[in-house]
Amino acid sequence: MFPAFAEVPAYPLVFAVFWGAAAYFALAMARHLRIFAAARAAGPSPFSSIPARTLGLVRYAFIQTKMFKDWRAGLMHFGIFWGFVLLTIGTANAVTGGIIQAILSAPFDGFIWAAISAMQNVVAVIVLGAILWAFERRLISKPERLTYSRDGLLILAMIGGLVAAEFFAQVFEIAAFGDVPGAFIASFLATPLGGVDHGLLAAAFGILWWTHKVIVAAFLLHLPGSKHLHVATAFFNVYFRKLAPRGELPVMDLEAEDATFGLRTLQDLGWKDMLDGFTCTECGRCQEACPAWNTGKPLNPKHFIMGIREMSVEAEHGLNLIPNSPLVRETYGLDDTVHADRLAKPIVDDAIPFDAVWDCVTCGACVEACPVLIEHVDKIVGLRRNLVLEDSRFPTELNGAFRNMEGVGNPWGQPPASRLDWTKGLPFEVPLVADVAARGELAQLDVLYWVGCAAAFDERNRKVARAFATCLDAAGISFAVLGQEESCTGDPARRMGNDYVYQMLATSNIETLNRYRMGEKTIVTACPHCFNSIGVEYAQLGGRFRVVHHSAFLKELLADGRLRVVDGDGGSRRSVTLHDSCYMARYSGVVAEPRDVLGAVPGLELVEMEKNGKNTFCCGAGGGRMWMEETRGTRINASRTDQALATGAGTVATECPFCMTMLKDGLEAAADANPGGEVRAIDIAELLAESLDPIQPARFSGRELPILQ
Amino acid sequence: MHIVVLTKPVPDPAAAAERLGPDMRLDRAASPAVVNGNDEYALEAALKLVEAHGGEVTLLTMAPPSGADTMRKALAMGATRGVLVTDPALAGSCVRSTDEVLAAALRELTFDLVFSGFDTSDGTAGVVGAAIAARLGLPYLSNAARIEPDPAAGRVRVRRITPTGYDVLEAPMPALVVCTQVLGEPRYPSLKGIMSARSKEIASRSLADLGLDGGTVGGAAATTEVLDSRKPPPRGATTVVRGTAEEGAAAIVTLLASRRLI
Repeated sequence: MFPAFAEVPAYPLVFAVFWGAAAYFALAMARHLRIFAAARAAGPSPFSSIPARTLGLVRYAFIQTKMFKDWRAGLMHFGIFWGFVLLTIGTANAVTGGIIQAILSAPFDGFIWAAISAMQNVVAVIVLGAILWAFERRLISKPERLTYSRDGLLILAMIGGLVAAEFFAQVFEIAAFGDVPGAFIASFLATPLGGVDHGLLAAAFGILWWTHKVIVAAFLLHLPGSKHLHVATAFFNVYFRKLAPRGELPVMDLEAEDATFGLRTLQDLGWKDMLDGFTCTECGRCQEACPAWNTGKPLNPKHFIMGIREMSVEAEHGLNLIPNSPLVRETYGLDDTVHADRLAKPIVDDAIPFDAVWDCVTCGACVEACPVLIEHVDKIVGLRRNLVLEDSRFPTELNGAFRNMEGVGNPWGQPPASRLDWTKGLPFEVPLVADVAARGELAQLDVLYWVGCAAAFDERNRKVARAFATCLDAAGISFAVLGQEESCTGDPARRMGNDYVYQMLATSNIETLNRYRMGEKTIVTACPHCFNSIGVEYAQLGGRFRVVHHSAFLKELLADGRLRVVDGDGGSRRSVTLHDSCYMARYSGVVAEPRDVLGAVPGLELVEMEKNGKNTFCCGAGGGRMWMEETRGTRINASRTDQALATGAGTVATECPFCMTMLKDGLEAAADANPGGEVRAIDIAELLAESLDPIQPARFSGRELPILQ
Repeated sequence: MHIVVLTKPVPDPAAAAERLGPDMRLDRAASPAVVNGNDEYALEAALKLVEAHGGEVTLLTMAPPSGADTMRKALAMGATRGVLVTDPALAGSCVRSTDEVLAAALRELTFDLVFSGFDTSDGTAGVVGAAIAARLGLPYLSNAARIEPDPAAGRVRVRRITPTGYDVLEAPMPALVVCTQVLGEPRYPSLKGIMSARSKEIASRSLADLGLDGGTVGGAAATTEVLDSRKPPPRGATTVVRGTAEEGAAAIVTLLASRRLI
């Protein structure tokens, strides 16, 4: 009846074994979905952005680009994944009575099936090699990021076992019953078995063939409760990934009646957040990249996501595999819906400790590192929102920052009247937008320079503002600032969970910018956090503005020949390393621009840190950490300073006022590694301004430049 | 337990924009108003007590009508309602008028305790609490670092900070307590608190409502007059000392010695 499996003892049993296990698998997965159904927050729509989502599936699930950031592990995983997929053709054929083989053998005289068999032979050897490699990692070399559990070893043993059983079953099949077309490696291995007793060979074949099927069935039974679930969920998690810009936090309706503000319990999550939990495979790439975890803080992004998964599993505990029908529920009073009290458990202090919620710098290194596109940061900010807006539970230092932002429009609590102090003594005028508008000259304005609170109030960063304004003036750019009409964009408030203060500041800034029709102009800023708020996030509140980071703007000015630097004397070169801002490099992909600016400065030689570009390591000030004490673990800025000093560079270039403050402090504190504070943090605009030619192209400016500092 | 907390809108010290107008009265348009910082400590102490013992907190303010906006911020922290004494005749009131008006407003209210902050960041007189206690004949418990009411016994015990330590005082309620910052950081209002504050009752009282006469209190009857007001000279250049603790200490000693300060 099944010619392809005529030699398999008790072949028809395979339908019961496999399809029984498959049915259990389907029901157990459906049970996970019942938790998803309890999610109150919306998830992504399956019908939107289908081309982008499909492309993502190809890129991240099938080509697995993120996995290759660790290319050794990536290669191993790629081998196991594709091997597993290709070998599944054989398994699928075996559990369907050989129908696939029958169909594919029909044309070309069985050539297609023979080719598949040949390929499967090769793949089996590759997978076995990769499995051995994986065992080596789990048992011998033991990279720190992995979670070591029996489950991990069991899964490897199962995959290795089933591939080996299937492969060697074929070896004995060939030895006992004659050649299998295409299975050249198995044939080769079967040659020495030529003289062995036929009965023995047939028995070995039968045992191994069944071993393979039993392991496959066991795998299906084990998978729904295993950390290896990602083989089923990763495709969906990748497909439904966050498509909004990295720096855009979920929108929040503060007027919603009876709503929970932010994330409190499992139910406040969206189903995609729960899927994140069921997709995590504890590979630990997030923890390896996390600046908080790397400096000994309690925050571990992997533990957080696994914690959400554990809460979900706990919530579905006791649910029947097959849900009771409404009739059974009513007739016998057998309510088997998800326990409300299990869903009502707060996430904070269950999936993640309270302190860890506040350790996050929102740098997005975890999100960038995750091969299956789990979103950690949005959830952590969601938890902060609930703690701040409902419970007023947050590190006490934030009290002042919140009040200052709300009261005087900047987290430092500086008087707004001093917003223009940085312009004092500059040899050119820094006009106010209000004055330009009053003169009716807004049309002639090239750009609005959004100064930002740090550059307006912080002594060190004021110098950056002066240098950048000098570049603008030298290039003959007609620019203006808002002065006292500018206030904090609200980024720190938003990242610290205070969307109330954020929306208050954002709404007022949008009003101001719209009053001067800045939606039609370019806004340039040297602050990546202002850049992200105004350029990316204000759109949620109806403010659409084109914002350019000063690195990109200066690059353009240089490329257009509007700025001229002095000729290098060709002499000794100064080495400089660039600290990428998380919000520019990782959030917005601005990586080349600051390097282009540095490349234009004569005599500078760029030495990269190991973690640069999109893999940059946070300075420690993001996510509102600028206004919190760093009491747990060691200091993040000290860690980054060490990385910068390890390059041997004489200067650390920055492109963000917060990074500037953190690295300046770090470099000054690194007494041993940086004697005399010789290595300093300098903004790219300052490095450029220092080397501007005193005589700029006359058609633009024609004025002699001031000597800075 | 009912506690009345005296709260005053003051110019936000962080804005550093406080100034007097040509009439030598506070230019209220020049600076955003906030709840006086020390009053927030008093309010926090009151909120903690009603959370523990049950009851309500009423805010009492004497201010122009705009004082209601500032009062909402204090209501957002959790106070139950507010009473705003406002009357055009009150503009330019001196301390004596202020305490007379507030005392009159308190006579209309039932309470176990009245809390006042240590002083206000704009006027800094620091006597309104004491004057009200005197006018109403209330026990006066100043500089409180701890407040322990016993509602059943109708008594309150206060730990009062002294220059050398503290005294423990006890008085029958109702009583007036002057609160200090030792009582604990004021809470940050939750969003729900902010939302519910929008609809909380703020009762407005004029001088006539309180049975007072504009001729005897308020600007017309001010006993003091502001003649001049000046800002302190700006701070001189800052010297930053860097290095190890020992080096830093040595540098500071040298600096102080050079100024003949040690």
